[in-house]
Amino acid sequence: MASGYIVSRGVLTLGIHYQHFCRNVLLTQTREKKRWMKAYTLLMERKLKIEGPPLPKPRAQKPNWDYHAEVQAFSSRLKESFSPELLKTAFVNPCYIQSEQERRQALGVDTETAALVLRDNIQLHTQGLEFTKSFMSDWCRDSFPSLPSKGVVAIVGHLISHPVVCHVARNLAIEDLTMSAQFPVPDEVLHSTFLAVIGALQKSSGAERAGLFIRDFLVTQLVGKDLFEMWSVVNPMGLLVEELSKRNVALPEPRLTRSAGAGTVLPLYFVGLYSDKKLLAEAPGETVLAAEEEAARVALRKLYGYTENRRPFDFSAAEQPRASVLQSISSS
Amino acid sequence: MTSRGTPSRFLQSVLQNGVGRYVCQLKRISLIFSKNGQSSLGAREFIEEGVVDFAIKNPGTVVYVSPQSCRIPKIVAEYLNGNVKEEAITSKTSQQIAELITKLTNQSGLDIIRIRKPIHTDSPSIQGQWHPFTNRPPSIGPIGPQKQQANERLCETS
Repeated sequence: MASGYIVSRGVLTLGIHYQHFCRNVLLTQTREKKRWMKAYTLLMERKLKIEGPPLPKPRAQKPNWDYHAEVQAFSSRLKESFSPELLKTAFVNPCYIQSEQERRQALGVDTETAALVLRDNIQLHTQGLEFTKSFMSDWCRDSFPSLPSKGVVAIVGHLISHPVVCHVARNLAIEDLTMSAQFPVPDEVLHSTFLAVIGALQKSSGAERAGLFIRDFLVTQLVGKDLFEMWSVVNPMGLLVEELSKRNVALPEPRLTRSAGAGTVLPLYFVGLYSDKKLLAEAPGETVLAAEEEAARVALRKLYGYTENRRPFDFSAAEQPRASVLQSISSS
Repeated sequence: MTSRGTPSRFLQSVLQNGVGRYVCQLKRISLIFSKNGQSSLGAREFIEEGVVDFAIKNPGTVVYVSPQSCRIPKIVAEYLNGNVKEEAITSKTSQQIAELITKLTNQSGLDIIRIRKPIHTDSPSIQGQWHPFTNRPPSIGPIGPQKQQANERLCETS
């Protein structure tokens, strides 16, 4: 390890290599066994154990960072043309502006000479949120025409929720570009930044491109998800009765179809729901009541068209999202 | 070490990449090399000839070139899912470095460990997963081999 100190005349100068770090500091490196190394490493390990790992630093404070280039790369990576000022405004959060102003006051910088000319993203955030909600509700209604409004609200609520949006934002490198007071960026700040980016996209390129963006990044998070994971229904049988009475179909009658292991620790009962002697759905469960509830859920999934073997969503069309979805429904 | 002792993962993609639009997963690439060392010769040649073309071809990746006094020239690739991959390019030719950089561009940032299955599907069954009660007539009672009633009837009539 190189150590910098002034070499005194008494020290043996054999085997020491000098290197000028700058005019006043001389670095020396010796090739002999470094007997202080073990003590030093053990000390540093003990320090790490006491203090814990070092705090994460934002990417902007690490070497090799050019904000303007990163913002440009962000927009071309997503194959969208953002207007640069709108996009940079979308990344600025009000908490950052506040902390910057406090820092400048603390440093004694005059607000008149060096004014902070940054606009925050609250307006873009509200616009983005409105647009996202309306677009996703429309998309849901088009893809699942028989899903009631409560289900649509539940699906949209799940897709706009903090965990999903923050997962998407972290994997799109929005956390690197966000300007916020704290690091790691808190979930709410990241959530509002993502929606502000959508608002900026809507303002720069129009509603169509913003809709395609939402479809390609938020709606794809529906892949592999079941309806009742997102929409918690307490009484599926009651909901099923409502739905069937709306469609003027006979009310469901549950019948035990198969059973196995009735007296054992793991009994299995299959309950089928029949409406007018025709099978609606059949499902297994550990008790007869559990099997009946599960059968009601399966019947609801079939009614709403949200089964596992449904036709996959059409993400290929780069045209109007509504037109493409209508085409896929009419062709299926 | 055997596969049980080493880490493994399932085949997956970052954020369902490709289902909607394809996003190049490499976000930043930094070339650290030395201006005078002989091990960075290939790196210097690559920077003279190939790096600008690479940057133009991949507008979604930011390319940083930082000359430092270092013994080992490196490429540091950062991916969208947060993984950082460092590769040493000591004494590699410009051609080899170009190939390495193309390889890094085409990777997603997921770990290069054993992939348990070469397939993944979100809808594993279209007609319904088979279970022992499929294609059996409904019955409540002890389960045994299905009685072949059709054969018995044939025997009786013949």
